[in-house]
Amino acid sequence: MIWKIAKKEFLLNLMTFKFALGTVLCTVLVAVFVPVLADDYQQRLQKYSQQVIDNEAKLRQVKAYRVLTPTIYRRPQVFSVFSQGLEKHLGDSARIDFGMIPEINAAPAELNPYLSVFPTFDVLLIFKIVMSALALLVAYDVVSGEKEQGTLGLTLSNRVARGHILLGKLVAGALTLAVPTTVAFIVGLLLLLSFSSIDLQASDWVRIAVMYIASLAFVLAVYNVGLLFSCLTRSSALALVLGLFFWVLAIVVIPNGSVYLARRIQPVETAEARDKQIRSLEQEFKQDLSAAYDQLPPGRGSEYDAGGPFDAYGPMGGVFNYYTVICAPSRVESWKKRVQIEASLKMKYANKLWEVERDYIRGLLKQTGLAKNIGRISPTCLYENAMSALAGTDLPDFQAWTATAGTYRDSLIAYIRGKTDNLRSVSYFTQSTEAERIEYEKNPESGRELRDRVRRRTKPLNLEDLPRFTYATGVTQGLRRAGTDLMLLVVFNILFYSLSFMAFQKYDVR
Amino acid sequence: MVYQIVRKEILENLMSLRFTLSLLLTVSLFAASTFIFVDNHRQQLDDYWNKTNENLSAFRERSAQLYKLAFYEQHVYRKPKLLALCAGGFEQSLPGHFTFDAFAVDLPQLAGQSNFTLPRFADVDWAFIVSLIFSFIAFVFAYDSICGERERGTLRLILAGATPRATILLGKYIGLILTLGIPLLLGLLVSLIIVVTARVGVVGPAIWTRILSIVALSFLYLSIFVFLGLFVSTRTARSSISMATLLLVWVVLIILIPSLGRLISDRLQRSPTAEEFERAKSEAIRRVDNAVSAGKFGKNAGRRTSNREECNPPARARYANAGADAVNQVIERHHSRMVAQAQTGRYFTCISPAVVYQRMSEAIAGTGISRCVNIYQQIKQYQVQLKEYIRDRDREDPDSLHLLFDEEHSVAEWNAISKRPVSFDTVPKFQERDLALGKSLQLAIWDIGLLALFNLVFFAASFVSFLRYDVR
Repeated sequence: MIWKIAKKEFLLNLMTFKFALGTVLCTVLVAVFVPVLADDYQQRLQKYSQQVIDNEAKLRQVKAYRVLTPTIYRRPQVFSVFSQGLEKHLGDSARIDFGMIPEINAAPAELNPYLSVFPTFDVLLIFKIVMSALALLVAYDVVSGEKEQGTLGLTLSNRVARGHILLGKLVAGALTLAVPTTVAFIVGLLLLLSFSSIDLQASDWVRIAVMYIASLAFVLAVYNVGLLFSCLTRSSALALVLGLFFWVLAIVVIPNGSVYLARRIQPVETAEARDKQIRSLEQEFKQDLSAAYDQLPPGRGSEYDAGGPFDAYGPMGGVFNYYTVICAPSRVESWKKRVQIEASLKMKYANKLWEVERDYIRGLLKQTGLAKNIGRISPTCLYENAMSALAGTDLPDFQAWTATAGTYRDSLIAYIRGKTDNLRSVSYFTQSTEAERIEYEKNPESGRELRDRVRRRTKPLNLEDLPRFTYATGVTQGLRRAGTDLMLLVVFNILFYSLSFMAFQKYDVR
Repeated sequence: MVYQIVRKEILENLMSLRFTLSLLLTVSLFAASTFIFVDNHRQQLDDYWNKTNENLSAFRERSAQLYKLAFYEQHVYRKPKLLALCAGGFEQSLPGHFTFDAFAVDLPQLAGQSNFTLPRFADVDWAFIVSLIFSFIAFVFAYDSICGERERGTLRLILAGATPRATILLGKYIGLILTLGIPLLLGLLVSLIIVVTARVGVVGPAIWTRILSIVALSFLYLSIFVFLGLFVSTRTARSSISMATLLLVWVVLIILIPSLGRLISDRLQRSPTAEEFERAKSEAIRRVDNAVSAGKFGKNAGRRTSNREECNPPARARYANAGADAVNQVIERHHSRMVAQAQTGRYFTCISPAVVYQRMSEAIAGTGISRCVNIYQQIKQYQVQLKEYIRDRDREDPDSLHLLFDEEHSVAEWNAISKRPVSFDTVPKFQERDLALGKSLQLAIWDIGLLALFNLVFFAASFVSFLRYDVR
């Protein structure tokens, strides 16, 4: 009997105008915007590969371990097409250096800050708005509409349990809404796969499958809410109005209001306070460094190349970032001490800086967490969370990336230490030979000429055994994170279905 | 007759559940958002004054020596505005910290309690409530105003009388606008009462006029949706179809189209990357350095020692200023390109009345991107003023070389600018000036025109289709 009711309802729904309109709109939007979004992803991917190539090219020019400060990049996520999450908001690169520990940061300055006035656009947006509206439109007259037409009384005059009727309606709703969801997913995936640079792994297919399930669960949740209103009211117009107000609360008010509220409840430290702390630490670092240098015999009397391939201003400034081509042998000991002091001080201050940064970020994360938790009363937010966790574009994934970058920094430092006898070897800062250095001291006037000669002779370091940075988005972790929100979505479904069940038991069909 | 129809419409609407729900929703939203705003505003003001006073006291110290005033890096912050209650303009995520000395302005930076780990969100301000919630409510009221009456059969009865169709449409329109006006005005009233009683700021006549213009324009905006609702209602035979259509229209106009801004501006106008920016800067410096080698600024411009007799200070000054100007130009171009990129996205999303309304209320409230641009320009003007002042005071000192240029060491060592103390009270200080209301309206005039055009189009559409509406 359940099946019969479901079938009838399903077929009736398929014939309606709203169903046609919603399905067509959703499919058209997906068909138009998936290529645009995929192209956007492709461009970001290209930029990423270019950056990685540039970094490799720079690595091939490094002549001393002291100036080995590569930058690592985060690969854009394929599924940012589906859920953009924080992909364009957060920084996607980290400089690996003695002087800094990677931490989550805002998107790089090249990103235009004025663009933050625009909302994000992804397939998720189309789904969560259009599909939920459709779910509501399908659900609002399921019970009250039949009552108005008088068919509900007829059905109930037979030997059909009320529970069966409602279950049949639920199944019918699920089937009806599965049609546009499935069509949109298939269209979107086909379009996505038509891009040559996009190929999906087995784990990606798992994620897609869970995304599909999450979408169904979300749409069904909205349907159940509509069903409850339909069971509570005697006219379908009333059910529609109630449903619409719920919808606008869930889609618009709660997602924005939760953030607005969280900012009030849990204010964060100002950026200026943090910057002040950082500046004073930098000052302290410079003072410590020059104090330590002053105790050493003067270490100049050398020729060096400013910058080096990884010429960039680090947190401590790029001033120290030069490669010593040659120096006088009498200064070698002094130089060794200098660079060791520099390295140890840099590491010490990197930790201090990181603590400041971490405390600041912890405050931010608290606020974000609160906003997320407040938002969880709306199924839209649950759906968003689940989707971005699955797409690997949510905050925890960025945190995991940053943590991996931190581990990579440790391994790089260990590598450099291993190669240079714990920074004690001359090769840490120069490749010049003893003979050249003696020649340099004997004949200081020819310094520049000698430098050029040595520079031509020395080859870049052989970095074949350099540990490489790899990061793969944890699919299982993503699934686990999405699991919580999915569970809540299921609970939401069950709750609202049982509420409508209770309401329907007492429904007056006259 | 119009009066009777309007009266009937309003009374009918007032009794309906949707009216109660909208009233509850909007008034509570207005109240809650204003409470949060007032709290935030107070805190932001404290924060702002602390930072501004810190900046001023450091600036005051520099007045002990005239030349130091030119080289002090001033920190100016965007002042929290009371009118952000009407339209916050996403200022929380826009750069609001400007650093500059007499010669150069840096790119503005993000400031204050911005949290980059949050998903992008909109402040729940008046513009948000009106553009999203009220447009939605307008549809909820309008969807069955024609086809609903047809379904009930009352439309035929009215038309059987001597009432012209135009009068009915007009009556319905006025009735809907007035019905919407009740929660809107009530909500605004609640909001204003909270602000006034909380005494967070002085609500002067200038602010009142702005608030009133925003309210008036909100009605212009809502009228679009009423017309659109009436139009769809006259095009459909059943109210359920009308609602489905309107819901999807709302989704597209209010949610989807505004979200496309980022995508559009990314594609149409790329702002230069950080590397390109750095390259352009070093290129500019290199060009000036080449000019020095070519002797463009005079003899010995490249030479700098602590003894001014050994150098050629006027040439050096020309050189230093040329360098500063070149870099300034690069920064300014970069900044204007970033702004242009953001604005492109907004131009192309103007098919959505929500974007137009948002931009318009930002212009009138004096917030948003245009405010950042405005502050940036005012800083440029202030720099000229400051330099003028320093030059003026410098003339009083016979020992000085009267050369103001962007090289602090040389200026100090050569005594190129007087080192005498000046009274800090006479030093010009940077003060952000709001645009006059006329200017703000001028900024908004295109948007107002666009809203009027939308009104006209949907009015014409609903009028024509109602004239041809089949009431059977």
